[in-house]
Amino acid sequence: MVHPSTPLPISPSSLAALPRLAWRNLWRHRQRTFLLVAVVAYATLATVLFWGVQDGFNQSVLNGNARYLAAPALISTTAYADDPDPAQGLPNLDFLKRVQAVPGVRAAVPRLEFSVLLRSPYTAQAAQARGVDPALESKVSDIPLRIKEGRMLERAGEVVLGKELAQRLDTRLGERVVLDTSALAGSQSAGLRLVGLVDSGLAAVDSGTVLIDLGQARQLTGLKTATQVALDIPRGQEAQVTRAVQAVLPPGLRAADVTQLLGALTQTINQKRGTIFVIGLIFSIFAALAVTSTVLVSVLERTREFGVMGALGMSPLRLAQMITLEAVFATTIGWAVGLVLGYGLNTWMANYNVLGPVFAGYGGAFQTLGTGGEIYTAQSPVYALYAASTIVLAALFSILIPARRMLQLEPAGALRAEV
Amino acid sequence: MKGKILLLLLGLSLSSAASDPQAVLKAIVDNQRGGGSVRATLNLSVARTDRQTQYVLDIVSDGNERALIQVKAPPREAGQAFLRDGDNILIYNPTLKRVLRLPPSGRSDSFLGSDLSYSDLSGRDLQRDYTPKITAEDANNLTLELTPQPSAPTPYGKVTIQAKVKGYVPLEVTFFDQRSQAVKKVTFAQYAEVNGHSFPVQTTVEDLLHSGNRTTLVYSDYKFGVSIPSGCFDQRALVAGC
Repeated sequence: MVHPSTPLPISPSSLAALPRLAWRNLWRHRQRTFLLVAVVAYATLATVLFWGVQDGFNQSVLNGNARYLAAPALISTTAYADDPDPAQGLPNLDFLKRVQAVPGVRAAVPRLEFSVLLRSPYTAQAAQARGVDPALESKVSDIPLRIKEGRMLERAGEVVLGKELAQRLDTRLGERVVLDTSALAGSQSAGLRLVGLVDSGLAAVDSGTVLIDLGQARQLTGLKTATQVALDIPRGQEAQVTRAVQAVLPPGLRAADVTQLLGALTQTINQKRGTIFVIGLIFSIFAALAVTSTVLVSVLERTREFGVMGALGMSPLRLAQMITLEAVFATTIGWAVGLVLGYGLNTWMANYNVLGPVFAGYGGAFQTLGTGGEIYTAQSPVYALYAASTIVLAALFSILIPARRMLQLEPAGALRAEV
Repeated sequence: MKGKILLLLLGLSLSSAASDPQAVLKAIVDNQRGGGSVRATLNLSVARTDRQTQYVLDIVSDGNERALIQVKAPPREAGQAFLRDGDNILIYNPTLKRVLRLPPSGRSDSFLGSDLSYSDLSGRDLQRDYTPKITAEDANNLTLELTPQPSAPTPYGKVTIQAKVKGYVPLEVTFFDQRSQAVKKVTFAQYAEVNGHSFPVQTTVEDLLHSGNRTTLVYSDYKFGVSIPSGCFDQRALVAGC
């Protein structure tokens, strides 16, 4: 109700006066406004957090998989990217120091990957072996951290296998497997002692991991250098640092970040994002309906007040516009408050592994996603726009329902209203 | 006099082999190979619990790293051919009319569905991968135990060979896994005297992990020490024969 001691400053029919009138009305009904702001703030916070967790989870899956299946970024020859064969290996490693000097590159570790046949007394399995420097590999890969039985390689003549691969070969720790390969050095074989079993929960890792000493890989393949150089790059900076690395590489070499390396997984995540966007939109619609219902209750409670305003000469159209503006103002304030809270919470969860232990409670099913137990939220300005869709929808619904009711308002009837 | 010296030398040689497990192993392997180049027909019999398949193969080998194997029977398999040159194995498929190179991942595949793999065809050398030790010996037979050398490309934990003391004629080879369980047994029979070696004409390979799986190889029409043209070991011979 308009306070009797506060005269209307300008003509109610004036369009310019409407925003001021709507703004003042907000603070005449502080409790109702606070409720509306709180509803919108909550919806905004939830929207920002929803997308932050969603995108962060996807990034964590991507980064986690990268640290198992590839690396945050890899350098190889362009020919190797098309035909991953040791014959297309790096011509030399002279560029390593230049790459290590690029800001953001925490480690640059050579690797040599090649196709092998592993034999046990009972069966044989084809696989892709990775020759690694045992002391450096853990800087660019989480696989050494997932050796649940035995230990990491220490020298030539040893092999670390994925647990499922070892089971398929029926080979136990301490037993010998035979590795056959055919590359630049022709057909070569070696007997390797199994010293470690990788149990990551990620099927591709547990059924495909074959780690051997880099020096022995060079000897078996005949390649003196490496097929790739794996880079350790801080989370979230992969694309930017990879571009900087590309700038210092000699011609014929290519640096690829995690999204390029895991193309299929990236594509799947992007497709999933489309579905999640629809869910987010539905979420916004429900939040907007919650705001609209609050506005509607507010309109019902203020019927007599609107009757007075109508009796003083304010047209139903102006009343409807005023109601809509009130909804827009309140939702904008709620949006701003929600953004501050949402981005604040997102920032906290982007820097501390709050979600990892929560999701770890889901056990093996969660482990198969390959996040490695660390899940961080993502940050993006676009979340503010997603949350703003709630305001837009609330404004639309306010026009459709409460404001439409105002258009049908009869001042005389409204003055007699009981509510 | 010359004959006496020859006998003395032979006696010295045999006594030297008896004291040297490596020499005993070499003598056994030499017998098993028959020595030198060979042309032969091989009857390959593959027995499974539910069926038995007979193959007739023509074999030409230079006695070293090169061999050509052609399938002559049964009719539906005839025309297939396999050429080994060192560690490289080429396969001719008459249906596709194409020569294919066997990739490393295919080397453990079964050869014609038998208990032999393509790796067995490429002749993994017992002398190269194992350290022999004589563990039992009586007047007639001896047993050699072969332990894999460190980082030797063999998945087996040990191999035992039983042979006759006289002439080191191979009788039986047993392959054990690394848990001391016997997984494969090769038995030799029907010996022929060839170039001073006792060549086993019949070889039986038994898969001890799958009861009833057995492959028997019987040589016939064999000629050792014959001259084999090098053209027998090129791709043309793989298609057209030698």
